[in-house]
Amino acid sequence: MKISIGCDHIVTDLKNHLVDYLTDKGHEVIDNGTYDNERTHYPIYGKKTAEKVSSGEADLGIVVCGTGVGISVSANKVKGIRAALVRDIETARYAKKQLNANVLAMGGRITGAGVIEETIDTFLETKYEETEESKKLIEKIESIPMNEELIGDEQYFDEFIEKWNNGGYPAN
Amino acid sequence: MKIAIASDENGLQLKNHLKAHLEKQGYDVSDATSNQSLDLFDAATEVAKVISNKEADRAIMIDEYGVGSSIVANKYKGIICANVADEHSAEMTVRHNSTKIITLGSGIVGNKLAEKICEAFIKADYDGGRHQIRVDMVNKMC
Repeated sequence: MKISIGCDHIVTDLKNHLVDYLTDKGHEVIDNGTYDNERTHYPIYGKKTAEKVSSGEADLGIVVCGTGVGISVSANKVKGIRAALVRDIETARYAKKQLNANVLAMGGRITGAGVIEETIDTFLETKYEETEESKKLIEKIESIPMNEELIGDEQYFDEFIEKWNNGGYPAN
Repeated sequence: MKIAIASDENGLQLKNHLKAHLEKQGYDVSDATSNQSLDLFDAATEVAKVISNKEADRAIMIDEYGVGSSIVANKYKGIICANVADEHSAEMTVRHNSTKIITLGSGIVGNKLAEKICEAFIKADYDGGRHQIRVDMVNKMC
């Protein structure tokens, strides 16, 4: 499978481990960064990782940050993405089987390596089983109007980064 | 602080348990899905509206796994919602993500843990500071 992966600077080591883990299992991995521990902002990587999935370039996405919340919310703001933030294997199984979730999110400071690895295995192996109920639910989610201007726009967050670089946000 | 609570049918029992628990602690809790039989989409949509319209400061939404409701709520503009199953995440997501809604899975967390998660969520305040750039970015997305 082709997996799009992304993280923030808090869990870069975990993401790098997961890139190796997935590659060793024979998957092709698109690593969207971040690539070091320099302070950065999770929406950049949530958006990038999710867009590879919504465009069809990747089959599924995996995002990690400290709690998993920030980067999963960011991924979920991309049209067509159903990002499942999970802390256990059964929730990941359900999210794929019944919600056809296409991005899996976990917190690197919340969940340990063993559970994270097995959650990924389960998420990738579980097949979506369409029912009338799941079909209706996904259609309803798809019907929510979404901002499409952001898709593929790599300058989308520049105004905030400029403000940050000019000291417009407190550093604490 | 005004707290809204909601659920689909699977989350009904835990919702009623948590509402009673939080009221006993003195919190002002309103049931956003009282006497309604909604699916998780409609219940999560209701919760997103309550927060968008500032009818409550925080909201708690319960379905069987929590994950479906959080996907739905996060599709709405200005909403930052976290599916949580531990107290630490419940606190940190308010402090760092300015989260106003948490979702819980009635099939995932037991009553006691759910009580503590809600307490941690309600007691936490947003840290602001450097975290605001990320919140601004997310809110521009949709």
